[in-house]
Amino acid sequence: MLRLIGRRLLLMLPTLILASILIFALAEVLPGDVGRSILGQYASEADVAALNRELGADRPLVVRYAVWAGSFVTGDWGESPILEIPVRPLVMEALGNSLLLAGFALVLIVPISIVLGVFSGLRRDSWMDRTITVSTLSMTVIPEFVSGVVLLYVFAVWLKWLPVSALPPDGSPFYDRLYYLILPAIPLMFLELGYIARMARVGTVQVLAMPYIRTAVLKGVPRSRVIFGHVLRNAMVPTVTVIGSQVGWLIGGLVVVETLFAYPGIGKLMVDAAQSSDVPLLEASVLMVAVIYMLANLIADIVVALLNPRIRKGG
Amino acid sequence: MASDQYTRDYADHLIEQVNKGQMTRRQLLVRASVFGFSATAIGSLLAACGGSDTDTSASPSATGMPAPVMGGTLTMIGPAPITDPDPVTIYDQGGIILVTQFLEFLIDLNNDNSLKPKLAESWTPNDTLDVWTFKLRQGVTFNDGSPFEAEDVVATVERLLDPEGGSGGAKSQWGGVLDPGGTKAIDASTVEFNLLKPYADFPFTVSGGNYNSAMLPRNWPGEILDNPVGTGPFMLDQYVPKQKATFKKNPAYWGKDSSGNALPYLDGLEYVMVEDNSAQNLQMQSGAIDCQPQTIPQGAQALFADPNLRVDEYPGTGIREVAFNQNKEPWKSGGAALCQAVAYCLDRVAINEALWAGKSIIGTDTFWNSEAYSGLNDMPADLPRAQDYDMAKQLLADAGFPDGLEIELTVAKYLENPQLAQLIQDQCKPAGINVTINQMSYTEFYAGGEDYYATTPWIVAPMTIVEWGSRPSPGIYAAAMLLPDAVWSSSHWNSPEFLSTFNEYQSTLDETERKDLGGKLSQLQFDATPIMVPYFIAQARTQKKTVFNIQGPGSFYCDCTAAFKTA
Repeated sequence: MLRLIGRRLLLMLPTLILASILIFALAEVLPGDVGRSILGQYASEADVAALNRELGADRPLVVRYAVWAGSFVTGDWGESPILEIPVRPLVMEALGNSLLLAGFALVLIVPISIVLGVFSGLRRDSWMDRTITVSTLSMTVIPEFVSGVVLLYVFAVWLKWLPVSALPPDGSPFYDRLYYLILPAIPLMFLELGYIARMARVGTVQVLAMPYIRTAVLKGVPRSRVIFGHVLRNAMVPTVTVIGSQVGWLIGGLVVVETLFAYPGIGKLMVDAAQSSDVPLLEASVLMVAVIYMLANLIADIVVALLNPRIRKGG
Repeated sequence: MASDQYTRDYADHLIEQVNKGQMTRRQLLVRASVFGFSATAIGSLLAACGGSDTDTSASPSATGMPAPVMGGTLTMIGPAPITDPDPVTIYDQGGIILVTQFLEFLIDLNNDNSLKPKLAESWTPNDTLDVWTFKLRQGVTFNDGSPFEAEDVVATVERLLDPEGGSGGAKSQWGGVLDPGGTKAIDASTVEFNLLKPYADFPFTVSGGNYNSAMLPRNWPGEILDNPVGTGPFMLDQYVPKQKATFKKNPAYWGKDSSGNALPYLDGLEYVMVEDNSAQNLQMQSGAIDCQPQTIPQGAQALFADPNLRVDEYPGTGIREVAFNQNKEPWKSGGAALCQAVAYCLDRVAINEALWAGKSIIGTDTFWNSEAYSGLNDMPADLPRAQDYDMAKQLLADAGFPDGLEIELTVAKYLENPQLAQLIQDQCKPAGINVTINQMSYTEFYAGGEDYYATTPWIVAPMTIVEWGSRPSPGIYAAAMLLPDAVWSSSHWNSPEFLSTFNEYQSTLDETERKDLGGKLSQLQFDATPIMVPYFIAQARTQKKTVFNIQGPGSFYCDCTAAFKTA
C-alpha cells in the first residue's frame, strides 16, 4: 500500500511540472507580448520594450519559467498588480473557502447518491428504479444558475428559511458556516447526484450479475451481508473513481455558484484574475486547483486500492 | 472676494429671475448654492420671491421621515473596487463609495446637484470669478486627532495636480483652470483659489462632483487602506479584498443635526462586495442587506415591486460617451457630416428600453439636457435627434461615403457597454455603416504606456465607448472632454468657437446670459457631434423601507452621515 502511495506521489511530480508549464504558457506566452498586453495596443515599442525589461519578460522563456516556478515552490507567489496585495494569502483563503464548500457538498452528495444508486441497482427496472434514475438525471441537466436562482428565491427570499449569502457574519461559530453553505451546496448536489448515483447503480447491477454473488445467495448468506459485504464493496470501485474526478471540478469550477451566492472561492478568483489580466493571481490559483485535482485523484486511488486488493497488492 | 454690492446685485438678479418666471425656486436654490450663499441667505432669497415654498432639496426618502433612531449597522451592497482604492486616482463606484465613508469634500452635493457646505462653511468669488475664497469649518479634526486646516486643503490640491503623477480625474476638471501653486492658505481657516480664468462652475470642482478632491491630511503618506485618515463620519475598520469593508462610527465627528444631536446616528456600516446584479437584487429581496446604492432597472423589476423596499429615483447625469476621434480616419476626413450620419442611425428610445428598462433620460448628443439637469436653470431648449435613415444616408453621401463605410468601435467588457456597442452595430447597418466591434478587457481598454494619454485605447482608438459617472453640471463635462486641452478627450475635438463661448459662459453669473451661451454651446456640440450621448443614466437607489435619509446623487455617492434605521 505504501509503495502504491509512494509511486502515485512520484507520478504527481512530472504531472505537476507539466501542468505548471501549461499554465505558464497559457498565462504568459500565448497572450503574446507581456509588456504589450499591460500597456495596450497603442503603446510605443520603446515603452513596451522598457516594461518587458523591467518585468524580466525579455529573458528566454526557460529562464522565466524557472524563476517563476522556483519562486512558487519557495512560497513567493508575487503580488497582484491590480489589487496590490500579496497573492498567496488571497489564493489560500479562497482555496480554503472552496474546499469547505466542496467538502460540505460532498458530504451531502456522496451518501445520498450511493444509497439511491445501490437501491436502484438492487431494484433494477422497478418503478422505484425508474423514478430515481429519471429524477436524478433530470436534476443533473438543470444548470446551476437556474437551480441556484430558484432555490434562492424560494428558500431565502420567499420562505426566508435559509440565508441568501453563503458567508456568515464574522465571529460566527463553525456550524453557522455550514448552515450558510446549505443553499449553495444544493445546486451542486443536483448536478452531481444523477451522475454518481448512476455509476453506483451500474456498479451494483454488474456486481449482482457476478457468479460469486449467486454462489453467496445459494449458500444462504444473509441478504444484508451479501449487499454490504460483497455488492457494495465491489460496486464502489467505479463510483469512487468518478467521485475523485469530480472533486477537482467542485473546487475550481464553481464560478456560477460562487458568483450567485457571493462566495469568495477560488473559481471566482480565477475568473476575476483572468478578466482583469492579473497574471500572478491567475497562475497561482490555477496551479493550486491543479494540485487539488491531483490530490483528489490520489485519495480516490487509495480508496479504490483499499476496496480492491488486486490493486493494493499490485496484482 | 466679491464686493457686498456685487453679492447684493446677484441676489436681486436671482429673485428677479424667479419673479419673472424664468427660474424655479429649486433652480434658485442650486444657483445660489453654487455662488456660496449660506442656507440662511438662500432662505431669505426664497422668502423674497414669495409664493409657496414647495421646492425642497430633501431626498424622496425625506418624505414622511420619522424621528432619527440612534445606533445600528447599515449594510450596503455593490461592486468591489476595481483596483486597490486610492483616493487620488480612484474612478470607480466601489472605490468611491468606500473611501467617501471616511473622507469628505469641501462641498457636498445634494440629491438635486445643489451644493451644501461641508468642510467649507462658505465660499465667494471675486467680481471677475477667477479668485474663489473658501472659509473652512473650524474645530474639524481628522480621525487621527490632527486638526483640519487650510494647509491640508492646499496639500490635497497640490497632490492632485502633481505634474509627476497626480490625479487624472482631478486634472480633467481643473485643466486650464487651476495650476499647481494656485491654491494658497491665507490663514488656518481660509483658502484662496487663484484660477487661470474666470470659472463660474468652480465650486462644483471641489465638491463631491470631483470625486478625487476628498480632503486628506497634509502629511498623508499614501496607501489609504493602511492610512485611512479622514474627517468623515465613519472610520475604516476592516477591508477584505473582493469581500467586504466595515466601518465604525467616528466618535469625534464634527457634524450635528438640526436638534444638536451628534452625527452619525449609525454605529457602523458594512459594504458587501458583490459584482453580479442578480445576486445583489436577491440579497436585497431576502432582507439581508439594507441598501443598494445603485440599482440597475433592467432585471430589477422585483425590487420596484417589493413591499418591503423603497427605490428612490433621481434624474441622473452619468453617461456613456460614444466618441468619434477627430484625429483618426474616417472621422478626420468625414467631419461633422459623418459623425451626424452615425448619430441619426440611433433609435435612442429603443436603446433606453433595451438597456435601462426605459428609465433613463434620452440623450441627444449634447450635455445641456434639461431633464438630466432639471435643477439648473440655465438649460436651453433641448435639441431633437430621432432615428432618420434618409438623413443618415444623405449625410454619408455629403461626407464622401455614398456607398457606406466600415468603422471600428473599441469597447471595454464592462457595464452595459458591450450591449450598447451591439445595438449601435445593428442600428447602423441599414444605413450602410458596418461597425466592427473591437472588444477588450477593462484593463486593456485603460492600459497605456509612459505617455499615457497618447497610448491608451480609450483616448487613442478611432471610435470608443467610455463610461462616465455623474457630473453635477454640463460645464464640468464639457471641460473634461470637449475643450481642446481636455485631458480626457477621446474625440480630440478642437473648436475655437466652442472654447471661446465656453469661457464666456464661465465668466458670467447672469442667468439669462448663461442660458443663451449654454444654448449656443449645446448647438455647437450638436452640429459637430464629436461625441454621441445616447442617454443620461437615471439613478435608482434601493433601500429597506426602514432605512432613511441616505443622501448624495448618482451612483458614486452614498452619504450615510445622517442616515438611520428604524426597527
